[in-house]
Amino acid sequence: MSFLDILRQLSHGVGYTLLVTLACSVTGLLSGLLIAGSRQLGGAGTALLLDVYTYIFRGIPVLVLLFVVYFGLPGLGLKVAPLLAMMLSLGLIAGAYLAEVFRGALGSVDASEILAATASGMTRGQIFCHIELPQMLRFAVPGMVNEFTTVLKYSPFAYTVGLPEVTKEAMSLVATTHRGIEIYLAVGVVYFAIFRLLMVFIRGLERRFEIPGMRPA
Amino acid sequence: MSASPLIEIRQLVKRFGDHTVLNGVDLELFAGDIKVVMGPSGCGKSTLLRCLNRLVEPTSGVIRFRGEDITAPGVDVRALRQSIGFVFQQFALCRHLTVLDNVTLGLRKLRGLRRAEAEQKALHELDRLEMASHRDKYPAQISGGQKQRVAIARALAMDPAVVVFDEPTSALDPVMSREVAGLINRLHQEQVTMLCVTHDLVLAQNIADEVIFLDQGVIRAQDSIARLAANHADPQVRAFFGREGFSA
Repeated sequence: MSFLDILRQLSHGVGYTLLVTLACSVTGLLSGLLIAGSRQLGGAGTALLLDVYTYIFRGIPVLVLLFVVYFGLPGLGLKVAPLLAMMLSLGLIAGAYLAEVFRGALGSVDASEILAATASGMTRGQIFCHIELPQMLRFAVPGMVNEFTTVLKYSPFAYTVGLPEVTKEAMSLVATTHRGIEIYLAVGVVYFAIFRLLMVFIRGLERRFEIPGMRPA
Repeated sequence: MSASPLIEIRQLVKRFGDHTVLNGVDLELFAGDIKVVMGPSGCGKSTLLRCLNRLVEPTSGVIRFRGEDITAPGVDVRALRQSIGFVFQQFALCRHLTVLDNVTLGLRKLRGLRRAEAEQKALHELDRLEMASHRDKYPAQISGGQKQRVAIARALAMDPAVVVFDEPTSALDPVMSREVAGLINRLHQEQVTMLCVTHDLVLAQNIADEVIFLDQGVIRAQDSIARLAANHADPQVRAFFGREGFSA
């Protein structure tokens, strides 16, 4: 079996790896945005609750939360599908980290722009949607790239709940061929290729929405 | 000039904790007027402006806008703010929006205009201020004076009853500062009602015959700069207005 044959075999799991990464990244992005927006628009009580939420979720290991959701919840009568379990564990943990990235990015929006919008009669919600959010997303790109990369690197946990992603394919292959070094090196190559594709996609988006001269305040 | 003032301020007091910033200010502004408030840093100039649209809540006193007491409970603060155009010293343009979008944002989101209508109105104001050719540029791509023009166009586009300027030239060099002064004069000729706070004597001299001197939260003088510099009884007032050779 050549290295190319190994890569071809592993490619059967690439779809699941991409699916898990995409689903968890979207979950993280949406929950992170929801937390950042609610913290910005809600009162002090809301902010405190969300701080507690992000503090807890940033402190829990992904695998522990995944097992709580996938193996623990059925004990309470709640059976969770593997992909949903990944979204509720890896996705929500990524969301908690992204919420902190967004909080930092929001702090970089020039306060004078917010003051001017308030003085013009805009509501807090309008200011968030039309002034803070578009700038926050641009300022948060480096932090988001970091978090999406982390999600990709944690996606092999999906094999523990039965999703046949790249690592799972590799383990099956090693069990039958005993060529661990080549196979796991090939796994590394596959993840690196996905990482590079992700980078190209994000850099393209960054260039598309780049504003001349706009830097964090 | 109409019989009743557009803005009437009576015994306005603003305290931040133990610190009294405004201590019984009286001021009237009629439609078509331009008034300039001057004073040293920290004298309460910006606070006075911010009380007008309730960005700062007055501690006591009355502010009447078109005859209505806007310090009373139940006042529609957002509607009030839409009637008062605010121009800030740091321009406060949205960096992620083009010149045109900076002007249309309020028209679309506050006035409910469609994009095409908003752009037509915005281009009219930008053209009036000779900025229409820069419509697709971002704030980082234009000069300080041009940014201030866009900020003024943004305020004018909302058809406010009054435009207030908070130190409009303090971030500009003398050449751009003169440009802004010329622009304010033009707007005055077009009967735009304006209230300007500044410590820029050149600007004040160029746009108003008389200035109001605010110090330690009270109005201490109202006269031409030359007379204040030469004849006022208080040496501090003479020193403030005489610092750049503005004597009679």
